This record gives sequence, C-alpha cells and structure tokens, in this order.
Amino acid sequence: MKFARFALRNLARNPRRTALSLAIVAAGTVGLLLTAGFVRFSFDGLREAMIHGGLGHLEIASAAEVARRGEAALDRPAASGIADWREVQSTVEALPGVVAAGANVHLMGMAQKANGASVSFVGVGVEPGREQRMGFKTRLRAGDPLAEAPPAEGEDVALLASGLAAALGAAPGDIVTLLATSNEGMLNALDVRVAGILTTGVQELDTRFLKLHLASAQRLLSTDRVSNLLVGLVDARESESARRTVTAALARHGASGEFAVTPWTKRAVFYAQVRNLYIGIFWFLGAIVFVLVILATSNTLVMAVMERVREIGTLRALGTTAGQVASGVLWEALWLGLFGAILGGIGGAALIALLNSANLKMPPPPGAVDPIDLRLAYVPEAFLGAIALMAVVLLLAALAPVRRATHISVVEALGHD
Amino acid sequence: MPAFRARGLRKSYRLGNTEIRALDGVDLEIDAGELVVLAGPSGSGKSTLLHLLGALDTADAGEIEFAGESLGRLSERERTLLRRRKLGFIFQSFHLVPVLTAIENVEYPLWIDDLPAAPRRRRALAMLDAVGMSSRATHRPERLSGGERQRVAIARALVHEPLAVLADEPTGNLDSRNATAIFDLLAALRRERGTTILVATHDPALMARAPRQIELRDGRVTADERREGVA
Repeated sequence: MKFARFALRNLARNPRRTALSLAIVAAGTVGLLLTAGFVRFSFDGLREAMIHGGLGHLEIASAAEVARRGEAALDRPAASGIADWREVQSTVEALPGVVAAGANVHLMGMAQKANGASVSFVGVGVEPGREQRMGFKTRLRAGDPLAEAPPAEGEDVALLASGLAAALGAAPGDIVTLLATSNEGMLNALDVRVAGILTTGVQELDTRFLKLHLASAQRLLSTDRVSNLLVGLVDARESESARRTVTAALARHGASGEFAVTPWTKRAVFYAQVRNLYIGIFWFLGAIVFVLVILATSNTLVMAVMERVREIGTLRALGTTAGQVASGVLWEALWLGLFGAILGGIGGAALIALLNSANLKMPPPPGAVDPIDLRLAYVPEAFLGAIALMAVVLLLAALAPVRRATHISVVEALGHD
Repeated sequence: MPAFRARGLRKSYRLGNTEIRALDGVDLEIDAGELVVLAGPSGSGKSTLLHLLGALDTADAGEIEFAGESLGRLSERERTLLRRRKLGFIFQSFHLVPVLTAIENVEYPLWIDDLPAAPRRRRALAMLDAVGMSSRATHRPERLSGGERQRVAIARALVHEPLAVLADEPTGNLDSRNATAIFDLLAALRRERGTTILVATHDPALMARAPRQIELRDGRVTADERREGVA
C-alpha cells in the first residue's frame, strides 16, 4: 500500500498517456460487458423459447419409451404412452410449485385438402388451457387459437403452420383431412377445420407442423393414451428439485419405475449446444481483449518506466529496494486496471441502456423465421469479473516494465538523460 | 576511526571495444567527520570513486570498508539498506522526485524506512529549516530555483542522519553565489553534525576552501593535501 499514492501521482504526471491507457482498458471492459450482456440475453431468451415453446420444465413419459428413444426425443408414440394419465396429472398438479401438467399426443401422417393437395405432417395434440397456464406461446399469424374446451366429435379444429398451410393452399375456415395410422395399425381419417395459421419460428418445421386439441388427436389415433405430460413450474430454477419431488410423488402413487421424469435441460440438446458455442465465442473474444489490452498497456507502462530511468536510479541510490520500485510500477498498473474497468463498467452500462432503448432488430438466425430483438442483459457478475480481470491483465502487462525497472543499473541510471 | 578505508581499488568500463580504466589502484582513508574534496579533471575517476564508496557500484578489485563494514561482502539488499540508513547523496542535477513536494522529497528516506508520519514530518521540517527552505516546503521541484532545489537535496541527504554524505559536483549547475552558499551550508552541517562529507568537484573555488583535497588523475590518487583554517 505504501506506493499506492505515489503511483497515483506518477499516473497524473502524464495525463494524456494515462487517459489513453484508461481508454484502452475501458474499451476492453465495454467489449466484454456487451458480449456478456448479449450472451446472457441470448441464453435467457433461448431458455424461455425452449421451455415455453413446447418443452415445459419437466417431462413425464413412459420409462420404457425414454429408455428406448432417449431423454432428448421430441416425439413419443402415444401407443407406448401413458394410459392412466389423468391420475398422474392430478397427482402432479397437486404438488407445490407446479403450475400445470399438460398432456400431449404426438402424431404424424398426411394432410389433404379437397383440391387434392396432400402434404405429410407432424403434429401434437395439446390441452390449450393448461398450455396457457404454463405460459406456452402459440405464435398465430392468422385466425383464432384453439379453444380450451375439447371439441365435440365432428367439430375438430387445427392450427396449421404457415408452410404447411401454404403447401396445402389452406386458409382459416377451410376443411383439411388428416390421415394417420391408429394404435391398432388402421388408417384413420379426421376432418378438421383450420382455425388459424401459426409459426413455430423454425422455417423447416413450419412446412410440416400442425396443432390440435388433445381430444382431436386421440380421436385420430383411436387412443386414450397420451405421449407425455409436460409440467410447468413456478420457477425454472427449481427444475431439478421439482424433478425429485415429482418422482417421489409418482412413487407414492404406486407408479415407481413406470415413469421417467426428465428436466428440460436434458431434453434441450440444441440449447446446450448453443450455450457451449456462445460460451466459446465469449472466451475467444475475452482472450483477444486480454491480449490487446496487455500489449497496449504494457507498452505504455514500459514507456513510463523508460522516461523515469534517472528517477528510478535516484530512488535506488537513496535506498529504495528493487521490490519497492516494483511495487510502485505494479500499483500504477493496478490503478489503471481498476479505474479503466470502472470507467468501462459505467460506459458499458450506459451503452447497454442506449442499445436496449434503440429497439434494434437482428436478422433471423439460420433456420429461424422472425428477426430477433437486439437486447443486452446487465450481468452484475460480469461487471465484477471485468474489474478483477482488468486488474490481473494490467498486473501481467506490468511484468515487463517491472523487470526493466528493477534491473536498472543505479550508476548508469544516474547518468541517464 | 576512519569512515572510509579503500585499498587497491580498480574499476574498468568497456566502451565498445575499448576498455576504460576508471580507477587504477586507489588507496585512501577518510576519517569520520572530515570534509574532503575529490578533485581532478573530467574522466579522472572522481565519480567512479564516489559510486564505489557510496555502495552504488562494485569494484573489479580491491576492498572498501565503510564504518567498519566491508562493502564487498554485502548483498545487493544489504548495500541498499546501507545507503538508505548510513549514507546520503547529493547530485549535480539535484535529482529531486518531481511528483513530490519539497518536504515529501526530504521525507523520502525516512518514508521508505517506515518511520511513522508524525516524527517523519517533524524531522523533515527541521531539516528544511536548517537549509533555509521551510517556507518552500509545499512547493514541487519545478517551482524551485536551482539553488533551492540543491538545498532541498542537501536536506534529503541529511534528514536520516547518515554517517557520510557523498556529493557529486553539487555546485555544477549553480552560479558562483549559489555554489558558495551551498558549500558553506555543507561545511556548516558538517561542523554541527559531525557528518563525513565527500565532494567530487573540479570547481577551483571549492577546492581552495576544502580542509582536505585528494586529487585524482587517470584513476590514481596523485595528491592528498590537508589544509588548516579553511571551510
């Protein structure tokens, strides 16, 4: 601490150079904070999209089916699904922290329109009321959403994804015939009225996807079973503890080992891949910033030492140890790192606020349909991390100047111009 | 008891392919409390001798004892601490630290030796007063004249009550009036405190006033003259 104030005065003797060093550190900090903010916002957005786009927080499925097709499978045949799903549903929905447990039937088949157009589809039968309670979002482009109450026989409706509707030439109000193989292997047909057009947000899926009421899907497949139950929780962070609670509740219900309860994190392979990619990009950028700041500030610190060779020689002559000289240089570096990072933190926060208020849009990611909002999150731990990182970076940058300062020959330094 | 005792001092420098013999077998003894002028033309070895006696550099050969300690046996750190506690230095270009005020410059040797703030400040002020600079205590070096800077440098050299002060051309950057005043100050401080003072100079006016003058030429002691009733 002895040389901390001394170092501050030395920094003040060349304001322009100090300002330049601070600007370099601040710019590096801003870069890190913006990247961290973008990555965090992307993680949060993707997580919400995954959970509320159809994964829920937990999946309850037949243990045998999960063992056969894996935890990450997005469609599960209703034939090998859950038979007593209503009991399971009421058991789970009685647990604290559970918003709802919505049943789903996955199906695939052929969609036909009277004009002769036919397109293969993948679909899901859902409970719209429970989906709504769980915060699942259906992005309607036209028409109406599915009604909460099960449709009566002969009054089935469907939401077609935009690409599928376009391929069929279907619009809201049109009748489309769905053909699918029942659990018994029979080819069943069901006429549905197109209630609305939706988008899944994923271009390829939009060419094949449709959504029905659970009752309609079960009618088409001639089954009472469901493929799975998706559980919505009050707090996504409780997914793992809720998984244990649900598993225990099902065991008490007498269904131990019959069901597999899987948290969304294990089903969202894409999320994990994107997360790893973004983290990799973040560290790559961090490494570039690290190297640039070290190179730029190290040069500045070396210049500061070279300009003070005679002064360092004098201090050494007066009995200042090499360690004390080193301490002075290290304090200068540390102050630059801390002040620069704090300035960068303030600048970064201001820039994040500015960018968020500008409502900027980014082009749709590969395979996606809609442009996405450019939003940056405030990441408090990134602010603290950036300050610590810059302190470390500057201390590393000071190593060469410290070596230079402590290896100066006192006699030569005293004669230095 | 001698403050300094040097035997067979040799020191060479390499300048390109040429070896410059700065000191070539110097023997001398300087008693505690003496004021000695090292005289000689440029390149005679005055500064080199001061550097060796001041533990700023090491000799190629020979031995130096200071206050009964052999400098050649000290580690780098021990030599640093010896300079900090037992020696004071005055340079031709003053070499004050520009970011420190006059009093902070004087405090510096006490500060690096961890003396608490209150006694440190008291001693520095008293020393500035002794050199007639207490009214300029809060001024930074850039606001002081050459003579004032050298007075501050003298205060800095003496504040920690060293056994000896080594001054390398201390009046070299001063006019004759200031040069005389600085020499008078050194002589007075020597009388009052009993500090051994070695001054390297080629100023004839100072040489004439020194009680003892050692003359160097080509790295050898060519004369060692004592005078009564001067300084």
